[in-house]
Amino acid sequence: MRDSVKENMQNTHAKLTLAEVRAKLAGQKGKKYWRSIDELAGTPEFEAAVREEFPEHSSEWIDPVSRRGFLKLMGASMALAGLSGCTKQPDEPIYPYVKAPEDLVLGKPVYFATAFPFRTGAVPLLVKSDAYRPIKIDGNPDHPYNQGGSDPITQGTLLDLYDPDRSQHTYYRGETRPWVAFLGSFRAMLADKKASGGQGLYFLSTTVTSPTLAAQWKKGQANYPNAKFLQYDPVNRDSAYAASKAAFGEYRDAQYKLDTADIIVSLDADFLSGAAHPGFHRLAKDYANRRRLDKTSTGEYSMNRLYAVETMTTTTGMKAEHRLALRANDIAGFAATLAAAVGAGSAPSGYTWSDDAQKFLAALVKDLKANTGKCVVIPGEQQSASVHLAAIAINDALGNVGKTVVYTETVNPMPTVEGDEIKSLVADMNAGKVDWLVILNTNPIYSAPADLEFADAFNKVGTVVHLGNHRDETGLQAHWHINAAHYLESWSDARAYDGTVSVVQPMIDPLYGGHSAHEILQSLLDNPDVSPYEAVRSTWGTQAASAPGGEDPDFGWRKLLHDGFLANTAFTPSSGGGKAVIPAPLPQLAADALEIVFRPDPHVYDGRYANVGWLQEIPRPITNLSWDNAAIMSYATLDKLGVSEHDVIEISLNGKTVLAPALAIPGHADGSITLHIGQGRTIGRVAGGVGFNACQIRPSGSPLFAAGATIRKTGQEWGLAIPKSHYIDHRATYVGGDGSGTHSLEGNEAIDRGIIRYATLDQFKQDPGFAHEGYGKDDPAPDESLFPAYRYDKNAWGMSIDLNSCVGCNACIVSCYAENNIAVVGQHQATVGRIMQWIRIDTYFEGDLAAPRAHFQPMTCHHCENAPCEQVCPVGATVHTPEGLNTMVYNRCVGTRYCSNNCPYKVRRFNFLLFSDYDTPSLKLMRNPDVTVRSRGVMEKCSYCLQRINEVKIEADKNNRAIRDGEIITACQQACPTNAIVFGNINDATSKVAKLKKQERTYGVLADLNTRPRTTYVAEVINVNPALTPDVGA
Amino acid sequence: MAQIFDRSSNALARASLILTGLIVIALGVTLNELQRSPWVTRQGQRADQPVPFSHKHHVEGLGLQCQYCHVSVEKSSYAGIPPTRTCMNCHSQIWTNAALLEPVRHSWATGESIVWTRVHDLPDFVYFNHEIHVNKGIGCETCHGQVNEMPIMYEQNTLQMEWCLNCHRHPEENLRPTSEIYNMDWKKPSDLNPVWCTATQVQRGVPTAESVSCTTTDPGKQMLMPAALQLSLSNAPGGRAVFATTSAKFTSQEALGGFLAEHYHIRSARELSSCEVCHR
Repeated sequence: MRDSVKENMQNTHAKLTLAEVRAKLAGQKGKKYWRSIDELAGTPEFEAAVREEFPEHSSEWIDPVSRRGFLKLMGASMALAGLSGCTKQPDEPIYPYVKAPEDLVLGKPVYFATAFPFRTGAVPLLVKSDAYRPIKIDGNPDHPYNQGGSDPITQGTLLDLYDPDRSQHTYYRGETRPWVAFLGSFRAMLADKKASGGQGLYFLSTTVTSPTLAAQWKKGQANYPNAKFLQYDPVNRDSAYAASKAAFGEYRDAQYKLDTADIIVSLDADFLSGAAHPGFHRLAKDYANRRRLDKTSTGEYSMNRLYAVETMTTTTGMKAEHRLALRANDIAGFAATLAAAVGAGSAPSGYTWSDDAQKFLAALVKDLKANTGKCVVIPGEQQSASVHLAAIAINDALGNVGKTVVYTETVNPMPTVEGDEIKSLVADMNAGKVDWLVILNTNPIYSAPADLEFADAFNKVGTVVHLGNHRDETGLQAHWHINAAHYLESWSDARAYDGTVSVVQPMIDPLYGGHSAHEILQSLLDNPDVSPYEAVRSTWGTQAASAPGGEDPDFGWRKLLHDGFLANTAFTPSSGGGKAVIPAPLPQLAADALEIVFRPDPHVYDGRYANVGWLQEIPRPITNLSWDNAAIMSYATLDKLGVSEHDVIEISLNGKTVLAPALAIPGHADGSITLHIGQGRTIGRVAGGVGFNACQIRPSGSPLFAAGATIRKTGQEWGLAIPKSHYIDHRATYVGGDGSGTHSLEGNEAIDRGIIRYATLDQFKQDPGFAHEGYGKDDPAPDESLFPAYRYDKNAWGMSIDLNSCVGCNACIVSCYAENNIAVVGQHQATVGRIMQWIRIDTYFEGDLAAPRAHFQPMTCHHCENAPCEQVCPVGATVHTPEGLNTMVYNRCVGTRYCSNNCPYKVRRFNFLLFSDYDTPSLKLMRNPDVTVRSRGVMEKCSYCLQRINEVKIEADKNNRAIRDGEIITACQQACPTNAIVFGNINDATSKVAKLKKQERTYGVLADLNTRPRTTYVAEVINVNPALTPDVGA
Repeated sequence: MAQIFDRSSNALARASLILTGLIVIALGVTLNELQRSPWVTRQGQRADQPVPFSHKHHVEGLGLQCQYCHVSVEKSSYAGIPPTRTCMNCHSQIWTNAALLEPVRHSWATGESIVWTRVHDLPDFVYFNHEIHVNKGIGCETCHGQVNEMPIMYEQNTLQMEWCLNCHRHPEENLRPTSEIYNMDWKKPSDLNPVWCTATQVQRGVPTAESVSCTTTDPGKQMLMPAALQLSLSNAPGGRAVFATTSAKFTSQEALGGFLAEHYHIRSARELSSCEVCHR
């Protein structure tokens, strides 16, 4: 299978030089957007790829199929031919309860509050449970921190719970054992070691997020003073902690208040793309709330401005008004220079800045100085401690402390510099000091820096115990492996970014009888059989009981479980800011040096979610890469190294090597290669064999970025799955196309059809109607159609998407997968363009390749009033409803795909093969029972979450009332951390969506075709600094 | 050379032409009938159940109300199959040794479900919702037949799409007062069996059932029943709505159905027969 892809890629990939692309760009007048560099250059391979409605091979049966399988299929189709509608349904058994649980109404979901204890801070959740099976995860709308928002990883943990590859047993040397056998052995060891105070007993844990677990260890350590508890995750907060220790004398967390920040500066801080950045949900929400262009009381538009300095192109950089690409190594120097310019230190010597950088710096300094107390500098999690120290100093010098940034105690109860901990552990292991090593929910054999040779040290340990969700690389090597309970199966607790305490409560009995770290640590205590529930309750019970209400002594605790959080437990900012002394940054890299930057994967994080099919398949922001990871670099670097995209290169760093396919993205810093950690796993039906493991060359001395890499071409190619530019414009010139059939519809139309419309704040102030000016940007009159208009008596559903708020984080896509039972097609199928996502986020790049601007546009079915798909369906499988939905009737669909051909938005997805998994038992539990699981040969697309509409409609009809505005929330809207998506009844003039649609900035994509889309967009307005880029915008 | 075909062949040829046509038609008719036949739809078939539970005995004989077992019919899409415990409420006291009830006792003792065979098995791809039907005036009997007369449960109607659509296109033909939902012997109104209905003006947010009351005995003949008020539907000063009541006598389903459809706010036939109502 892999070979055919590779071959295909070889055939279609010609060399592309930067000069050619630049020349193409230079010839363009006005704005020019592109969705991929192939398209921009008009390369032959792109033309070949776009010639067909669906990408090459996507409509062919190219999978190897055995003769036996073929006969089986033929037999089945013969039997079903023509008579499929007449077949008799088989008898269906009913299994009623023996004793029905109280309060359970079958068919009605129940919602429970809990929290996802992610290592950057708890994500408070409201989990939808159908017959006590969690089937959908969303943010807790009542929680002060995330207010209902979530992110791709949080959404994806649902599939992680039902992952069929999860470890299901306790193993001892490869044989299954009962849990009590482990417990007996563990407690016998503890009894032995009691005298020595636990000498030789080591714990290596993932970052501890639970205050209860920290308390348990504290007590355990009192019993075993010589035992050691260490933490290690490959992606950690070492820099932030080290910097706060240096500045404040103790570990502190910074909390940023973007609601009051007019100027935001990101020093490689990717705070808009996912939960990998602490406080993402809150930061993104506050950021977006300041971009809604609401007028203040003085009648002025109040809007923030974002500056970003970064290495790898991220959504944060692309949302920024002004972005500077610098090598990761040089950002510390830039931060120190910036600090010096605002009077918080002295400028580093030996740094020279390019003209662009100098101009950027000057404008930035001027802006910051003009906005003291109303600006904020955010350092990147994956940046060095000196950047964090510089940020502390700058915020201090600009008077931001206490206003836009506050320092509090740490969210995680046991902060530590994890990079040092793993080093000391390996040293002790090699010295033979480690007798028992208990590994809790981390996977060091996979993720420890390569030069530590963890696997070798591993063999010098007497007994290794591994507690993990999967029997992963470490679990297979360990003597004992214990299957861990998922967070949706166990009791625990955690604090959110703002410090608010959330209790993690189980949603389902452990599917495989898993156990948690609480149970293991409790064995060290005097009362070893206390359950995790009792442990958690003893931590917070007293505090919860103080809540006023009723005589019931349990009231406070039950309220805590009901709400999901303990009110008023947010941290109070610590007074007295420390004084940061910015250390001299590393010397600037030589112009020709090559540095390697290590970052977590935007979806699978540090590899712990690598077996989650949704997260693997959904294209990552910016790179558009589905499955796999790559050596990500700029076009100039690609050119300089003499390789082309998809070429497999060998990267050597300090004597370690790894093979990686090259991938270029616009805007990446030159002379730098970004590698995402998290792929290259060797286990799991999803994760196994996907991508490469960047930890194999990661040095323990400089785990964030390291210079001095060498590159060797291997001459091989790897077919990266990049589902972009799949849909082609076939129209002849007389109907508005360019006749060539060689451009993606999106990229082509974005230029002259105004798919993306935006203006600067000044332009918008002068001309609020900018979104409707210019040829083709006016909507046709409502009666300009051969078809009679529909009438909508009561409801007319519509959606409005605010492009100013959309940060392109992909939370909506994962939410849609979970809600609508969308199938994962696999890497090969994704490569040939059969990915099934109902909502995608189109990224349009604009401007110079090295310094692009990008626009994110969530694209899903527009539910057109004059829907082109409806008119061509020969069997009436896609029809218009009385409320204006364009609905799919799956059992009518015969798979002609005419509808997709005729859809200008290219949002329809066809089940070329049987992608849905009907067999795996654990996945059956996960499905949304209100949505059909689609079979082969059926077209599908966004339904505006019809099942949710119907549910609310029935409830409203029963109570004889109109549907309230905001009562129907689509899955994408619910997940969106920035509230960019609004859904509602456009017939009701007072509804939020109707008001948004009346805004002057609202426009419909391709509305000049008279499709009259129900989904409209609110055009973007950017608040550029006129000193930097005067010539952008409408 | 002798003729290969005799003259009689002409007749045969003609006959075969006609016969072919007839066979094609017959095949079509057969398939059509087959598709609608009880063999496919299971209409009227008595499935083999672990316990020969008699609705007739429990409903008509003992007077159990439907919701005693089917608890969620007003609250959920799913009416609910009773847990073993519901059976044991009585059968731990009576018929405790009956051989017929062995599966029930076995289930109770072991904690394993009694495995019933679904009698009303909707075609796939259809999402049916009980609560909205019973809350809007469709009785149990309308779809399930006179369950109180069924010693062994069977499917009264085909549950095929055409059957659903018959009602969704003309809901007023089957509407009854919500007070009569569980009445197995409800008769459509006629000259001999008239129905009197009183409706207060429907308030927002109050279930429609509470604003319409119907009776099969003449309210005029009842001593305590005040005469129906005939107030104009107008707004009193101060913006508060005056709840006018109207009372009427109905002697036909057409009239009653129209009245109830209006007061129960039944969606229009156009809305009800749209695909997305049942398919999603």
